[in-house]
Amino acid sequence: MPVATFHIKRFDPDNDDMPRYDEFSVPYEASLTVLDGLFYVQEHFDGSLSFRYCCRAAVCGSCAMYINGRYRLACQTNVRHLDGDVITVEAMPHMPLVKDLVCDMTDFFAKYEYIEPWLMRNSQDPAKEIGQTPEERKKLDMPIDCILCGACYSTCPSVWGEGNYIGPAALLKAYRFEVDSRDEARKQRLAHFDNEHGAYRCHTITNCVEACPKELNPTEGIQWLKRAAVRRRLFGRLK
Amino acid sequence: MSAKNRETANVGAGNWKGLGMWAWILFRVAGVVLVFYLFAHIGVISSARLGGHHTMNTIFKTFDKTLFVLLDLLLVWAVLFHGLNGVRIVLMDLGIGITRHKAMFWACMAVAVVCFAFFAYSALNFIADKGGAWL
Repeated sequence: MPVATFHIKRFDPDNDDMPRYDEFSVPYEASLTVLDGLFYVQEHFDGSLSFRYCCRAAVCGSCAMYINGRYRLACQTNVRHLDGDVITVEAMPHMPLVKDLVCDMTDFFAKYEYIEPWLMRNSQDPAKEIGQTPEERKKLDMPIDCILCGACYSTCPSVWGEGNYIGPAALLKAYRFEVDSRDEARKQRLAHFDNEHGAYRCHTITNCVEACPKELNPTEGIQWLKRAAVRRRLFGRLK
Repeated sequence: MSAKNRETANVGAGNWKGLGMWAWILFRVAGVVLVFYLFAHIGVISSARLGGHHTMNTIFKTFDKTLFVLLDLLLVWAVLFHGLNGVRIVLMDLGIGITRHKAMFWACMAVAVVCFAFFAYSALNFIADKGGAWL
């Protein structure tokens, strides 16, 4: 049975002065994911290893990590698909650490909540469902796949430089509701991203596009928001 | 090494290989270089007013030397890179080619290289004519 070497970045803020890398040998068969490997380490070598996970099916976004120099979802990354048998697993860079591979996502979710990521309507709802044409629904295809893993937020130099920038994930979600034909709170939500901490802070560096494990394009959404905000300011139009 | 806390333990690692990232960093560097150049340029031009035409002629003779012609070439590259990458960013702001920004970057750089080749050819000819004294 082949053996993979896991280099795992460890740091316990309460006890450690510096982060360190621990090395573990994990035997694997065809289907071992990095998340399975972490479970193996936890069960056989070190029960104190901390990491987040939930769905194990690449839909919850809990297990985003920095694996072999790329943002990946641990549950979606097959060990056999990585180059070589040495696997470096680190927490998402630039995020405050809780412990080991667990990042503090407090700011990330506070900013996400700030853009009011839910459908808002002023008019009376129709008796049945709110209809959408296939064309209107198609606009949601890209942004709706975001699983809030935080990879884009962790990799964005604008976030590193400006702590109040609401970040690519929150802006992508704002875009998701801005292009939703059923949403009627454009003015309200526009105020959240039409400022120096919002869409204009994006410098189209596109690190978020490189990082996204779901292969989405937050920059595309943010650029749309910038244009929408400018159109609103120049012409008073909301769409 | 000083002790790390939960805020700093994880900073500085990560994604330094994206094309957009380096385009952005070099864009900023070239921009700062151009700002400093602008002040130097104003200083040199002002020398005619402040020190008379002899002062300006002396400075300009220095600028004919090989080292300064090569520095001029670096300046040309800064202008081309900053300008053409700026065009790419303006296009992206207008919503054009966001999903193909890498291709746009290389297209802009191709234009920059062609322009630069023209300037480099002129500069090297100039150096050859002047006999190539360094300073």
